[in-house]
Amino acid sequence: MTDGLTLVQRLSAHPDSRCWFVSWSPSGTLLASCGGDKAIRIWGREGDSWICKSVLEDGHQRTVRKVAWSPCGNYLASASFDATTCIWKKKNDDFESLTVLEGHENEVKCVAWAPSGNLLATCSRDKSVWVWEVDEEEEYECVTVVNSHTQDVKHVIWHPTKEMLASASYDNNICIYREEDDDWECRATLKGHTSTVWGLCFDASGQRMASCSDDRTVKIWKEYPAESGQDDLSWKCVCTLSGYHGRTVYDVAWCRLTGALATACGDDTVRVFKEDATSHPDQPVFSLVAQVPRAHQQDVNCVAWNPKEAGLLAACSDDGDISIWRFQEEH
Amino acid sequence: MASQFSGVLQLTDLDDFITPSQACVKPVKVEKKEGKSVAKIQIEDDGSYVQVNQDGGKQKLGKAKITLNDCLACSGCITSAESVLISQQSNEELFKVLNNNKTGGAEQKVVVVSVSPQSRASLAARYDLSSTEAGRKLTCFFKGLGVHHVFDTSFSRTFSLLESQREFVERFQRKEQDSTCLPMMTSACPGWICYAEKTHGEFVLPYISTTRSPQQMMGSLVKGYFAEQQGLSPEQIYHVAVMPCFDKKLEASRSDFYLDKSQSREVDLVITSAEVQKILEEKNVALGDVEPAPLDAMFSHVSGDEFLSHAGSGSGGYLHHVFTYAAKELFGEEVKELTYKTLRNKDFQEVTIERDGVVLLCFASTYGFRNIQNLVQKLKRGKSPYHFVEVMACPSGCLNGGGQVKPLPGQDPKELLQKVEKLYKAERPLTPEEDARVSELYQSWLHSVGEERAKELLHTQYHTVQKNINGLTMKW
Repeated sequence: MTDGLTLVQRLSAHPDSRCWFVSWSPSGTLLASCGGDKAIRIWGREGDSWICKSVLEDGHQRTVRKVAWSPCGNYLASASFDATTCIWKKKNDDFESLTVLEGHENEVKCVAWAPSGNLLATCSRDKSVWVWEVDEEEEYECVTVVNSHTQDVKHVIWHPTKEMLASASYDNNICIYREEDDDWECRATLKGHTSTVWGLCFDASGQRMASCSDDRTVKIWKEYPAESGQDDLSWKCVCTLSGYHGRTVYDVAWCRLTGALATACGDDTVRVFKEDATSHPDQPVFSLVAQVPRAHQQDVNCVAWNPKEAGLLAACSDDGDISIWRFQEEH
Repeated sequence: MASQFSGVLQLTDLDDFITPSQACVKPVKVEKKEGKSVAKIQIEDDGSYVQVNQDGGKQKLGKAKITLNDCLACSGCITSAESVLISQQSNEELFKVLNNNKTGGAEQKVVVVSVSPQSRASLAARYDLSSTEAGRKLTCFFKGLGVHHVFDTSFSRTFSLLESQREFVERFQRKEQDSTCLPMMTSACPGWICYAEKTHGEFVLPYISTTRSPQQMMGSLVKGYFAEQQGLSPEQIYHVAVMPCFDKKLEASRSDFYLDKSQSREVDLVITSAEVQKILEEKNVALGDVEPAPLDAMFSHVSGDEFLSHAGSGSGGYLHHVFTYAAKELFGEEVKELTYKTLRNKDFQEVTIERDGVVLLCFASTYGFRNIQNLVQKLKRGKSPYHFVEVMACPSGCLNGGGQVKPLPGQDPKELLQKVEKLYKAERPLTPEEDARVSELYQSWLHSVGEERAKELLHTQYHTVQKNINGLTMKW
């Protein structure tokens, strides 16, 4: 089944270290990566190959765990184990450190930009999720600190269209947050995974969300209209992909162009799933359409679909490499 | 089990895992005995540990004990389980002392209970009484249990307000010489103090007012003035405070409030409003049915049988009083009414006074972790416009403390808070300067003990807590 995915290029991104995360810029022309070497690398295309355009060092004292592009593409946020989140501003082809957000007690595990561009969310091993707001003077202030998880919060993402936040934790739960009065509250707790939830991803419309876990499954959740006329949200698990992954599933990415679902796994494999055309929206069926065993020499930590070029997929691993793949669907 | 401490305190690295390799900052003192003999340790059938010497002799080994305060100093191994133990111990502790008194045991104690106005309002809301009615009935109830005196911390709060006012003016006058004078930040909230000591340490401590909180002012009054007056030594008094939160328990256990000479704490025990409600329930007492008793006016803020209050916020009114006093003292301005401007959210408010377009004073109140965060970060970047900030760890302040009586099933928490606020504000305010008994105490007691001793009684200090970063305890 390897015909679905072809290797475009392998990059030794963070040599002698691990590459934790990759993120495409909104225009799809740049790829940011970060790793255990405390650095962030920006990759761009030159002709047919991807080359390193710049290296952002000295921003953090410890591992950089995740990076996120602002919706306008002019800013990059990096979340680090040094308990800070750095905001970088694009200046021509390079990036300058604009400000450092402090406040988390310990390792920041994720940072995510809201589609509006005004809000930022971070989450940490200190079990909290913070929402930050940026004003016209590029000053960041804390809007709220929510403590809905009882353990390390691994990942946080924004809904593509609504001002809604989702977080995943070592406590096996997913929390959904909305703004109420002048504060953010957890409006729903999604239980179902039997171990740490490592990653989350919304589909293009935001009606469905995929989660992946240490329990070796991927779950698809769907939002249903509120029950009994209350304002509270209702999310139900409509599909569980089990039996495919040999180890922990560390990341899941839902392509907004094609609807394909990619996963990053601790068994060194990259997999792609597609929803069957005939499946019912309340009971979707996903099939494994491509996989690359030994896509990397160690755990695959992250997968990311290019937002503009359909089928272009980036992955990265503990082996320090980034791999870029082309996914072609067989008809 | 969720921690009952304020959100601000919870976020200061209180972890659920005690890792075996964590080095304790306060190792337990071990009595080392001379001798080279190697002893074995044996566990008896009853679970106790005995040391078996080479000659066969057995010695029972004492349990190593670490107090709550030690754990806080270490900032490492206190878990949320501990906070459950704290709350369970509290009521039991009070009854141990009361029962010991009743049965004529050794070490009889004079039991004093100091009730905070926020706790009074919370209990009043639960039993549908006015705050004064609740206070009078609580006095009767506590005395029925064997408590000797029931005081009111609004009285000691008058001292805190007066000292805060004077401290602010003194700092304001010194601001050109010392960059860490202003903004002056209040000191009454222990959640804020613990957070500041642990997270920002050296940087923020100089800004915090050294004025004692009403709870600890009462500690000075009861174990200092009152003890002397009654011909008692401090350890012969068992001082209990009834407070709206759990963080106050930590404040009472600070080493700065421990009297070395008499080996006793200024406040021996803190119980929350909810814990008092639990006692009432266990004794099958509906507070409304209790007869009102006359109030112990000595250390209560009262006029006849009515409780008095202070103007301003439900967290003590520090901003209100310091602002009004400073405007008069420094600029000759009489402020009749304060106009609060709500900033980012309702827990972040600003009050300013201008003259000819120039801002004379800019004060703020910041409640809750997110606002405290922004305040400190702004201060770090040198962008804070404030002269004074009233800082409280709990959103909506002390009336919404974690130890207040919980809503009844089906009761909207927001509505309950509004009810508590209304009952609290119904008490007539009195300006601190108009309190004759407080000024009398300043004259007779505080002046007589000398400036240094007076400072000890009215003020306190803060200490940076070192973080113990042990590589083995890292969790990825």
